[in-house]
Amino acid sequence: MKNMKKWAAIGLLSMAAILSLTSVKPVAAETEVEGINDPTIAPYFESMKGKKIGYVPFSMSYDLSKGWLAGMEIQAKELGYEIITRDPNWNTDVGVQAMDQLINSKPDIIVLQNPDLQSYAKLLKRGTEAGIKFISVNIKSAYPSYYIGEEWQLNGMAEAQYIVDKCGKDTGRSGKVAIVQGILTSAASAYQIRGVTEVFSKHPEIQVVSNQSANWDAGKAQEITRTVLQQHPDLCGVIGFWDGMDIGAGSAVKEANMQDKVFVVSSGGGYKEAACDRLEDGTYSAYFSYDVRGQAQDINTVIRILLQTNPAPDAFKFTLPTRGVMLTKDNIKPGSCWTMDSFK
Amino acid sequence: MTSMDQAETLATRPAAAKRPTARYPFEGLVKLRARLVPSHILGEIMSKQWIDSAVPATFMVLVIGLFLIVAPGFFTGANISDGGRQLGEFGLVALGMMVVIMGGGIDLSVGSIFALGNFTALALTNLFDWPVAAVLPCVVLICAFAGLINGVLIGYFRLRAFLTTLVSLITIRALVDVLLLEFAVDISAGFYDSAIWDFAGAGDVLGLPTSFVVLVVVAIAIHLFLSRTRLGWHVMAVGGSRRSAHNVGISVRRTVCGTYVLSGALAGLAAFLYAARLGNGGSYPGAGMEIFALTAVIVGGTSLGGGRGSVAKALMGSIIVLMINLGVVQMGLQSGAGQLVLGLILLLAIAIDVRFIRNREKILSRLYMSPTYFSLPEAPDAEQPASSYALNDQLGDVSLIGLGKLDGAEDVIFDAQDNLYCGDRLGNIVRFDGPDYQEGKVFAHIGGHPLGLAFDRAGVLYVCVGGMGLYRVHPDGRAEKATDQTNRSAFSIIDDSRMRLADDLDIAPDGRVFFSEATTRYDMETWPADALESRGSGRIVCYDPAKNTTRTILRKLVFPNGVCVEPGGQSLLFAESWACRVSRYWFAGPKEGQVERVIENLPGYPDNVNRASDGNYWMALMGMRSPALDLALRMPDFRRRMALEVAPDEWLYPNINAGCIVKFTADGKVLETLWDRHAENHPMITSMREHKGALYLGGILNNRIGKHVLKDADPNWTAGASYWGQR
Amino acid sequence: MTRAVSRKRLITQEKIVFAIFVLLFLGFSLFLPGFLTANNVALLLQSVSVLGILSVAMGATIIAGAIDLSMVALMAMSVAWALQLVNNGMPVPLAMLIGGGSAILVGIINGVLVAYVEIPPLFATLATAACIYGFGRFGLISQDTVYLPKNLGWIAELGHGRVYGLPMPVIVFAVLAAAIALVMNYTKFGRFAYAIGDNRATARITGVPVRPVLVLQYTVSAIVAFIAGLVQATAINSMNTRITDTLLIYEVILVVVLGGIGLSGGKGGIRNVVVGTLLIGTFLNGMTIMNIQFTAQNAIKGLILLTAIAIDQVINPRDEQTSQQGDI
Repeated sequence: MKNMKKWAAIGLLSMAAILSLTSVKPVAAETEVEGINDPTIAPYFESMKGKKIGYVPFSMSYDLSKGWLAGMEIQAKELGYEIITRDPNWNTDVGVQAMDQLINSKPDIIVLQNPDLQSYAKLLKRGTEAGIKFISVNIKSAYPSYYIGEEWQLNGMAEAQYIVDKCGKDTGRSGKVAIVQGILTSAASAYQIRGVTEVFSKHPEIQVVSNQSANWDAGKAQEITRTVLQQHPDLCGVIGFWDGMDIGAGSAVKEANMQDKVFVVSSGGGYKEAACDRLEDGTYSAYFSYDVRGQAQDINTVIRILLQTNPAPDAFKFTLPTRGVMLTKDNIKPGSCWTMDSFK
Repeated sequence: MTSMDQAETLATRPAAAKRPTARYPFEGLVKLRARLVPSHILGEIMSKQWIDSAVPATFMVLVIGLFLIVAPGFFTGANISDGGRQLGEFGLVALGMMVVIMGGGIDLSVGSIFALGNFTALALTNLFDWPVAAVLPCVVLICAFAGLINGVLIGYFRLRAFLTTLVSLITIRALVDVLLLEFAVDISAGFYDSAIWDFAGAGDVLGLPTSFVVLVVVAIAIHLFLSRTRLGWHVMAVGGSRRSAHNVGISVRRTVCGTYVLSGALAGLAAFLYAARLGNGGSYPGAGMEIFALTAVIVGGTSLGGGRGSVAKALMGSIIVLMINLGVVQMGLQSGAGQLVLGLILLLAIAIDVRFIRNREKILSRLYMSPTYFSLPEAPDAEQPASSYALNDQLGDVSLIGLGKLDGAEDVIFDAQDNLYCGDRLGNIVRFDGPDYQEGKVFAHIGGHPLGLAFDRAGVLYVCVGGMGLYRVHPDGRAEKATDQTNRSAFSIIDDSRMRLADDLDIAPDGRVFFSEATTRYDMETWPADALESRGSGRIVCYDPAKNTTRTILRKLVFPNGVCVEPGGQSLLFAESWACRVSRYWFAGPKEGQVERVIENLPGYPDNVNRASDGNYWMALMGMRSPALDLALRMPDFRRRMALEVAPDEWLYPNINAGCIVKFTADGKVLETLWDRHAENHPMITSMREHKGALYLGGILNNRIGKHVLKDADPNWTAGASYWGQR
Repeated sequence: MTRAVSRKRLITQEKIVFAIFVLLFLGFSLFLPGFLTANNVALLLQSVSVLGILSVAMGATIIAGAIDLSMVALMAMSVAWALQLVNNGMPVPLAMLIGGGSAILVGIINGVLVAYVEIPPLFATLATAACIYGFGRFGLISQDTVYLPKNLGWIAELGHGRVYGLPMPVIVFAVLAAAIALVMNYTKFGRFAYAIGDNRATARITGVPVRPVLVLQYTVSAIVAFIAGLVQATAINSMNTRITDTLLIYEVILVVVLGGIGLSGGKGGIRNVVVGTLLIGTFLNGMTIMNIQFTAQNAIKGLILLTAIAIDQVINPRDEQTSQQGDI
């Protein structure tokens, strides 16, 4: 009800404003303005203009955060709101400071990438109570916020399913699989392993011969994969949790000249150098892409919705899962992956 | 200075005092500048202990100023409050690191211990629902225990601090990761409702964030611990020199161990506050904190390797580091900027630490010396036979006492039983039993370098001890301090309340002790430098044993030296060495408080003044003036350059190798002069005491006491009787 | 304690570590299926070759009484920059020249800070590490991961290829170790480095050009870091600059200390580094085969390091009388 009244007021005011403009204009105008004036357009633009959006990824130094920002900036320029970027550079404490400062400067929306479920929870609570809307991207928070992005569990399931298809029953392959996890305590890793093991539990023919954390480190992933290959020359699949790390696993397989026998599946934001190029050169056999272009589009949509509706702090926090695509060497097209130019 | 006119009329000049006629260009301007510009202040400021803190303080102001300009909006209320909370946590960690570094170690594990504390706090609250009153001590104890492991390994088993705490960093972090893997989900699911918990994380005390208040309290406690307690001194001593600390009996191992326990406990306290503020059960808290804490401590000016540091420095360093961290985030700079800036600042701070602090004494000794303009009239010529200073060889037949057994008997004195006393460089009062004075025995040991001596009415020996103050030795040989401090001057930068160089003394009939302090700017070892300055930095101090008070009565004297109370009991004579003059100060009677000149323009530097049997005064000239130095005294810039560019051994010093004894009347007429022309027996004289027809000579650079028989003196006269009557 | 005395000792840390290595190797060979195969041993060596390359240079630096904590940051940033330049279209030789040149420059800066400004090496290089990473991320490379360009030519072989069944990284490690060992043992520079590490003041009085030698030492360290970076990048087809944030630099020190090179300098040799590398390699390989998690590996690694420095303390005891101020 409150919102209705507010919208009505804004609508009336802007109508009045437009009317007053048009009532002055006709004197100078040669031709008459024809047709019906859409009363919702002006309020739409009005609700965007001069707004402040905070953006706190976990780091500005990798493809996902860069892609999201590039997408967001296009719309910001178009609609005339400002994006304030803060870069914690993988440091939670710096992220907390950045969030703290941003909340103090009272923007309308903060788009953030949680380092984990916990770290920003109390800040989100404080900010939400102060009337700021939070859009979490790719990693959820223990405190409810609007969510766009990966469903990691589904991601894990998709990767596992791909391996099951390649190495499972009736494929004639060994069914031996290595899992290369990220930092064990991170949500992305924890949810993915859940999805992977869920699928594998239904397929007893799949044998997990190695399940280790490479700490998001490509070198470590390479080392693990090499050793596993050595121990199990009949290895069939490697599941990786993030392209930045899996390149190490893929290199180990390539180095052993086994890319035809061992299926390496990775996942990531679908950046060309990290995804399509690696599929083409055989580093990966499949790549689960949660396309950053789509995610940026979703972020923009949610921003437009929230700015117009301005929901109350206790409003329902909806979730927009990203629809991932399993890319392989055979199904990639020129547009399957993105580059920074995709946002120009 | 008062009654100069009277002094003019009273003083009978021994020779026509000619002002130097040949002036160099702009000498007047130089004189004016020397009078107006207090150039000695810079050196005195540099000599203060707090100058160490001035560098980080300036830096802190600069950083704050910088962010005021480049990041407006940074200092808004909410940001300051949040910054205060973070400072509270970070400052505690930095304080722990500071104590460890001061003890000569380093603690790289603070970040991991912090993570462990954070996990413990969250697990105990969210998971086990303990009361806060139990959580806090438990967290601190667990972290202190982690510190104890470090401490035992480094302190007791003598492992290397850097590597050992590095291992702790890795293993404790791994432990926290394992624990998080197990409990992170449950922790995030739990909900802990406690007013005290919320207060610790988000509360205010008198408008100040809780953690900031905690920091202030802890900082004060640690400051008191380090500066006022035995254990704190042990930490400093161990850091300063482990070997010396061990050799003086400090338990080095326990002390070192203790610093790590303290560091762990403080990291735990910080983690508790952090947990209460954020409830962050993620895996990253405290990552890289060791580098930040280390940077804060070093930037604050605490020396690596130990022994130097303070709470204030650690706090300033913390503020600087935190400000830069927050400021870079606030400015939204691309990542890397923070590390770059902090890295550069760390480099700069260590470079300053190494370059400046290590050479500080050198810089200070060059900067401290601040010569001023000082002009003396042309010296009387002792070569002229008609002069009252004319050369002779009266001291050529001096007989020697204690040759080779004494070292630096500056003054000599007799008690009522004719025993001879003198001081020496080892801090002893040596007694030669009369009447033959063959055997010298240590009568009392005081320390320092005993200089001037005087007996009071009761036969208690008062001693001016260079480097220590005014002491007295009872007839049974028991030494005690009479006084070593006086009232501090209002505008003096150096602390002049302590005695640095008490020189000579005398005792008035009412028992008050008047003594000179030659200079307040230099010490026993460096006093010749005061001669190059020729700045009035000495004083005369009065100690009243009846009231046990000490007051400075005359200031700005140019190396006041000999003091002699006149028989009238209302005035005293005092000699100012570098000013080559003798003055009279009235401490009682109608002229109380007045000063008048008695002799000006002596040919040498006067030292002790004592009574003679015929009602006149003896005065030692410890060395003779030279025209070159007299000229140099009129050129302050020349002397400053000399001090800066020439090694101290080569400086143009006053000659104090050959002097003489002068006898003068109460109104300043010089009657005779005694020389050791061949400079064999007793050329270096700083004091003389007439006793039963003979003159006993002391010399601060001599290994002997001289005895010169006076031909026409009263053979029964003693100074003791002259002061206190026959007993 | 002089080198002569420590040489006379029958039990040195190197021997102990070597014994542990042999025991561990035998134990794994007996109880771990698939451990003792030619391929796995080559793999074992390959997995620690970058670590070994860095450790060899670090060992030489520590022998000279210094330490270089900036190696990992330097290796990440200089190589990432060079790769990025190639990716942006610069000819490979020029890009490598720029990358290597910048590494040398940083080495010289390190050396000047330590030798001339007399900043304690630990903190000088800690600070330069922060500066290198900060400057690289702020000014040169905007992305964590720089992918390997396709046109690297023979350089790409550093991490990939095999010669006579031996992986290239192992060969690079062996060649560098041999070269640096020769330099340390048979050249004036090497003997000077020992003298400086043993007693800097004495070396200086004796006429050893302490400062130039230290600058050179850091320059060598920087060049080796660049080479190690090339091996690392070509092996995993990318260079992740976040490797700076890992504990790699501490592992390098671990290897050096483990092998028995005292941190106070002047003692030990490149052989010690090789022994330390072998032990760590065997250990990590065994752990990976046994499927032991990363965090647990870290904890065990920490305990091994602790044991190594405890042994160091027993063999080279330091007490209140012998300890020097600032020797931490």
